[in-house]
Amino acid sequence: MSFVRLVGLLRKEAVQFLRDRLVLALVLWLYTVEAVLCTYALSFEVENLPVAVVDQDRSLSSRKLIDLFTLSDAFELADHAASPREAATWLESGRVNMVMIVPGGFGRAYHTATLPAIQFLFDGTNSNTAANARLYAMELLRRFELEHPSLSAGPVPHQAEPIIRTWYNPDQTTSAFMVLSMIALAGMMVGVIHPAASIVRERERGTIEQLLVTPIRLVELFTAKTAPTLLMGTLALFPSLLIVAWFDVPLRGSFALFMVLTALFLLSAIGLGVMIAAVSQTLQQALLLAFFGLFPIMFLSGTLTPVESMPSVLQTLSLASPLRYYMDIILSVFLKGAGWAELWDEALALLAIGTGLFCLSAMVFKKRVT
Amino acid sequence: MKPARVITLIGKEGRELIRDPITLGLCAVMPLIMLFLFGYAVNLDVENVAMGVYDEDRTPASRDLTERFAATDYFDLRRTFGSLGELEKAMQQGEIRLALIVPRNFHRHLLEGAPAPTQILVDGSYPAIAALAGAYAEAIVSAFPRPRPSAIQPQVRVWYNPSMRSSHYIVPGLFAVILMAFPPLLTALAIVREKETGTISQIFASPATSAEFVAGKLVPYGVVAFFEIVMVVAIGTLWFDVPFRGSVLLFLAAAMIYVLTTVAIGLLVSAVTSTQLSAMLLALVVTLMPSFLFSGFLFPVFTMPLALQIYSQLFPATYFTEISRGIVLKGAGIDSLALPVSLLFLYTLVIFAIATRRLRQKVA
Amino acid sequence: MIDLRRAGRRYGEHWAVRDIDLTIQRGEMFGIVGTDGAGKTTLLQLCAALLDPTEGRCTVLGYDTVRESKAVTSRIGYMSQGFTLYDRLSVAENLRFSAGLRNLSAREFTDRSQRLLDMAGLREFESRLAGKLSGGMRKKLALCLNLIHEPDLLILDEPGLGVDPLSRRELWRMLEAFRERGVTVVVASSYMDEAERCDRVLLLQMGHPIGTDRPEALRLAVAGRVYEIVTNDPTRVAGELSSRYSAQGIQVLPDRVRFQHGSTEAPGPDPRLDSMGARTADATLEDLFVFHSNEHAEPFAAWGELPNVETPGAIEADDVSVTFGGFRAVDHVSLVAEPGTLLALLGPNGAGKTTLIRALCGLQPISSGEARIAGTPVTTAATSVRQRIGYMSQRFSLYPDLTVGENMEFFAAAYGLTGSASESAIFRARALTGLEPVAPGTRVEAMSGATRQRLALACSVLHEPAVLFLDEPTSGVDPLSRFRFWQLIRALASAGMVIVVTTHYLEEARYCDRIGLMDRGRLIALGSLPELRRQTASGDTDSVETVFLNALRRPGVAPS
Repeated sequence: MSFVRLVGLLRKEAVQFLRDRLVLALVLWLYTVEAVLCTYALSFEVENLPVAVVDQDRSLSSRKLIDLFTLSDAFELADHAASPREAATWLESGRVNMVMIVPGGFGRAYHTATLPAIQFLFDGTNSNTAANARLYAMELLRRFELEHPSLSAGPVPHQAEPIIRTWYNPDQTTSAFMVLSMIALAGMMVGVIHPAASIVRERERGTIEQLLVTPIRLVELFTAKTAPTLLMGTLALFPSLLIVAWFDVPLRGSFALFMVLTALFLLSAIGLGVMIAAVSQTLQQALLLAFFGLFPIMFLSGTLTPVESMPSVLQTLSLASPLRYYMDIILSVFLKGAGWAELWDEALALLAIGTGLFCLSAMVFKKRVT
Repeated sequence: MKPARVITLIGKEGRELIRDPITLGLCAVMPLIMLFLFGYAVNLDVENVAMGVYDEDRTPASRDLTERFAATDYFDLRRTFGSLGELEKAMQQGEIRLALIVPRNFHRHLLEGAPAPTQILVDGSYPAIAALAGAYAEAIVSAFPRPRPSAIQPQVRVWYNPSMRSSHYIVPGLFAVILMAFPPLLTALAIVREKETGTISQIFASPATSAEFVAGKLVPYGVVAFFEIVMVVAIGTLWFDVPFRGSVLLFLAAAMIYVLTTVAIGLLVSAVTSTQLSAMLLALVVTLMPSFLFSGFLFPVFTMPLALQIYSQLFPATYFTEISRGIVLKGAGIDSLALPVSLLFLYTLVIFAIATRRLRQKVA
Repeated sequence: MIDLRRAGRRYGEHWAVRDIDLTIQRGEMFGIVGTDGAGKTTLLQLCAALLDPTEGRCTVLGYDTVRESKAVTSRIGYMSQGFTLYDRLSVAENLRFSAGLRNLSAREFTDRSQRLLDMAGLREFESRLAGKLSGGMRKKLALCLNLIHEPDLLILDEPGLGVDPLSRRELWRMLEAFRERGVTVVVASSYMDEAERCDRVLLLQMGHPIGTDRPEALRLAVAGRVYEIVTNDPTRVAGELSSRYSAQGIQVLPDRVRFQHGSTEAPGPDPRLDSMGARTADATLEDLFVFHSNEHAEPFAAWGELPNVETPGAIEADDVSVTFGGFRAVDHVSLVAEPGTLLALLGPNGAGKTTLIRALCGLQPISSGEARIAGTPVTTAATSVRQRIGYMSQRFSLYPDLTVGENMEFFAAAYGLTGSASESAIFRARALTGLEPVAPGTRVEAMSGATRQRLALACSVLHEPAVLFLDEPTSGVDPLSRFRFWQLIRALASAGMVIVVTTHYLEEARYCDRIGLMDRGRLIALGSLPELRRQTASGDTDSVETVFLNALRRPGVAPS
C-alpha cells in the first residue's frame, strides 16, 4: 500500500462524493423524510378502525356502551346502520372493518343479569388488525362493566390477577420500532448502493481501466471506495438521533458502542455493495441486482416482523444477512440498553460477513480484470 | 389503425420476447420467488412466541398455570428460570419475548380468596406481535383458575378469515404488488431499449402511427402480465390454502383492467425517459415502492394520517388490493366493488391517454 | 424532392441547425458533411419528418413534413446512425417486419426481399439472427429494410460508421445502383471520401451551412492554400512552421509536412515558403473544414518541453492470442515496436485492435504467447510495468465531475507523484498538450470533445511513460483538432516513446511510421505505408483503404 496513492484516491472520492448532489440528496432523504414519513404512515396499532353500529336498543345503557367504543382511539364510528344486513354489506365493501350490534332490550337485560349478548362482526382479512381489534373490544366491554356495574352483579370469585408489564416499549407504540427499523434500512441501502454505484460508474465511464493501468492496487481502491460511505453512514447517525428523539424513543445503551457497531454493519453492507459492483457490468444491472436482492433481504431480516416467526428455512437464510444482526443491535441498544456483553456475537457475525464479502469481491474483481 | 400493421408489430415484439429466455424466465420465476418469500416471511400472527417462566411458588397451582400457557399455540415455553436476573438477561438478549413470573404464595392467595397477582413481562421491541402476545397472556391468566363471570356475553364472529391467518391477508394483497413490480418495468424497458438502439426512429420513419406502436407493445406485454397474474393467483391460493370465495370470472375481468393499468404505467414511464437506467429507476419508484408501502398491502390505510391516506389513493395498487381481497376473501360481487373497479378503469384510461400523447410527440 | 426554407430546429436554448435553405433534385446523391455535433442528424430527421422544424418549412416529395408527415414517411427510407435492427429477429424476420409496417403484399415481399438479399450478399444468412451478423452485414441489412418498399427518397445517417472497408465499398455500390434507378439519396457523413462521391455536398458547421456545391467546386475555396514540404525531419519543420509562420492545420507525416496558409486573405507567392521547399498540394474537403474552423477554434498553444523518457523500452508481442469462450479475439499476433516508433493498428470494428492493446498493457489476460514491455513480461510483473506505460482509452476516460486540475492531480498521485514532483509534472503536461488556456477549475463535463481528448492525453503522460497506448484517440474530434493531435503524437514519438495507436479512420495511418492491418483477430500485414503498398502490390499513391482491401484479397486471407 502506498500512502501517496491512497491519499490521492481518497481525495478524489471525497470530492466526487461531495459533488454528487443526487447521492447526497438520497442519503438525506432516506435518513430524514423517508424515516419520518414511514414512521407516521406505517403502523400496526389499531387506530381509527371504521365501525358500523346497529343499535336496536336505543336505551341509555346502549348509548353509553356505544359512546365508550366510538370515543376510544381504536375505533371510529363510520355510520349507524339500520339493520345488521345493511351493516354486513358495508363490511363486505370494505367501508367498515367491524360491526357492533346491540340487540333490543340490552339495557334491561344488563341490569337484570340475564346475560345480554352483544354481537361483534370483524373483517378478518387483516388478521393482525382483527385480532388486535377483538382484544381491544373485549377490553372495552370489561371497562364498561366496571364503570357501569350491573345492578345485580354478584361477588367476584378469587382469581389470578394479571399484572402486565411491557418492557422496552411500555406504551407499545409502533413508532419506536418503525423509526429504528427505517434507520437500519437507510444504512443498508446507502451502504450497499453508494459503493456499488460509484464502482460501476467507473466501469461505465471506462475510468476503472485507467486506474488499472496505473500502479494503484486493489486494496487501495477498495479502501478508497469504502471510506466515504463508512464515514458518511456513521455521521448520518447524528441527524437520525434527532428524529429518534422526535418520536420519543429512548437511547438506553451507549452511543459510542452503537457508533462502533454501526460502522461494523456499514462495512459489511459496503462489502455487499462492492460484491454487486464486482459482478455487474452496467449501472442498470447493479441497480436491478441491488433492488431485487435488497428487497427480500430487508424483509427477511426482521425489519417488519421478528425473524422467529418465519419458517425455519428462511430463518437459516437470514443468518447470512448483515441487516438481521443490525436490527438486533439497534433495537437492543436503543430500547433494551444492551451493552458489549450482549452484543459481541452479533458484532462477530458482522465482521465475518464483511470480511468474507470483501475477499470474495476481490477474487471476482481479479478474475475479471487480470 | 391498420390491423395488419398492428399484427406485424405484435409479431415482432412476441418473437423478440420469446427469444429472450432470461427476461422471460425472470418474468416467470421472480413473481413466484416474491410470492413465496412474502407469503412466508411476512407473518404477523402470534405463534410460538418464545416464553420463559420464573416460578417462585412451585405449587400445583403455579404449575397448572404454566401448563395452560404451554398448551396454547401462541406460546412456546423455552426455559424456566431460577432467578429474576437470569430471566432479565434472557429477555435482553432476545432469547425470550415474553415471561411469566408467578410470585410466592400464589397458590395460598388463590385458596384464601385474595387477589393473586401474577406478572407478565413482554418484550415490546417488536410491536407487531408484542401487544397481541401480551393480551393473549393476560387472557390466560385472568381466566385462571376458571373463566371470570361477565354481565355481558360477547358473541364474536370473525368473517372472511375465521382462522385469522396472516397468509390469507398477505397473499391476495401480493397479487397487486407483484403485478406492479414486473409488467411496468418490462414494458418500459422494451420501449426505452428501442429508443436507445434507435429502432424506434425506424418505426416512426415508417407509416406506422404511435397508436399502432402502442398497441404492438400493449398486447404482448399484456398477455405476459395476464399470464403472470393467473399463475400467481393459482399458485398463491392453492399453496397457501387461501380460499377463493368470489367469482373467478369477476376477478379475471378486474385483473384484466389492472394488467392494462400496469402496462400503461410502463408506457408512461418509457414516454418520459430516454435511457434504460432512468426508466428502471422511475418504474421502481412509481410502482413497486409505493404499492408496497402505501397500498394497504401490509399496513391498513385507515391508520395513516389523512394526507398519506389521500396519497395512497394515487396508486392503482391500492384499488386492486381492495378488489383482490374483496373477491378472494369476502366473495364480494360487482355491486360492492363497483367503486374501486370503476376508479381503476378511469385511472387506466387517463394514463393511456397521457402515455400515447407523450409518445405521439415526435421522438428522436 | 426536398425543399427546406429557412428551416431550423431548437432544443431548449440551443439551435441544433438554423437557417437552412436547401433544394435537392430528383435523382441526386446529396451529401451532408460535418463533424460530430454539427447538426447532421437533426437535419436528416427534419427531412424524414421525424422532427418538426422550430422555424421555417420543410417540404419533402411535395408534402409538408408537419401536416402530412405520414405521407412523407410512407414514401421514404430512413436509415439512422448505429445498428437499428432487432437483434433477436432473423434477417428474414427483420425484413418481413419492415415490409409489414408498410403493408407490402406477400408476392411483392418475396420478390423484393430475394433481390435485395442477393444484392447485399445476405442470401445465405437469411435465417441467422441479426445480432449474430458482422457490423458490415448489419449495415447492409439495415439498408435493405429501408429499400423493401422501393422508396423514391433514401435518407442515410453515417452509413459508413463502424463498418469495415470492404462492406463500406459494397454499401456504396448498392447506393450507386439505386441512384441509377432514379432514387434520390441523401447521406450524412464525417468521412471526406464519402462526401467526394456525392453530386453535391452541404458543409455543416455548428448548425450553420457553410457551403453547398459540388465537391470539386467547394475545394476551389482552399485551392492554392495547401502546401507540402518533403523532409527527413518533419517534427522539426513543423515546429519551425508553427513558431515562425502562421501555418494552419499542420499535418506531420513520416516523410513530409502538410499545412495551410494561415492568413484569411488569398495567398500570393511567398518567398519564405519557397525557401523552405514548400510546394502547393491538392486540397481535400478536410482542408476546407480546417479553413472554416479557424474562427471557431479554441486557443491552442504550441507544445512546451517534450517529456524526458529516461529508459526507453520496446514493445514485443510474441505469438499473443486472446480467447473469449470459443471466440479468438486476438489470433497469434507477433510484433515488435522500438522506442521512437509510432505504430498504428488498423481494422474494422471487431478486428481485435482494442483487445490487442488491452492485452499489451495488461488489462486483458493473455491466453497464450507473451507480451513484454522493455523486456519485462506484462502479465507477471504487472505493477512494475504499469509505472512505465500510459494508456488512453477510446472514451477519453476522465472523471467528468472533477475539474481539469483535480483530474491531473489524481492521476499524478496514482503514479505516486507528490508535492513539487506532481506540480511540475502537471505543469509540463499542461504545456505539452496546450491546455494552458483552459482554467484548471473547469469541470470535465463542461468541456468539448477535443479538449477532453487533450486532457486525457495529458493525464496519460504525466509520469513520462516509455510506452503509450492510444485506443481510438481521434474519434468524435473535428479535423483541425485531429491534425493538431497527430502533430503532438509525432512529437512524443520523437522524444523516444513507443506509441501504439488504433484508429478506424484508415487515412490517419499516414501519420504513422508503421502500420499493422488487423482482420478478425489476425495481424494480416505490418510495415510502413510504402512497404505495405509493395507487399500488397498496390500503386504508390493508393489510399490506405485500397491497401487494406488489397491486403484482404491476398492469398491466405479468407474473404469475409
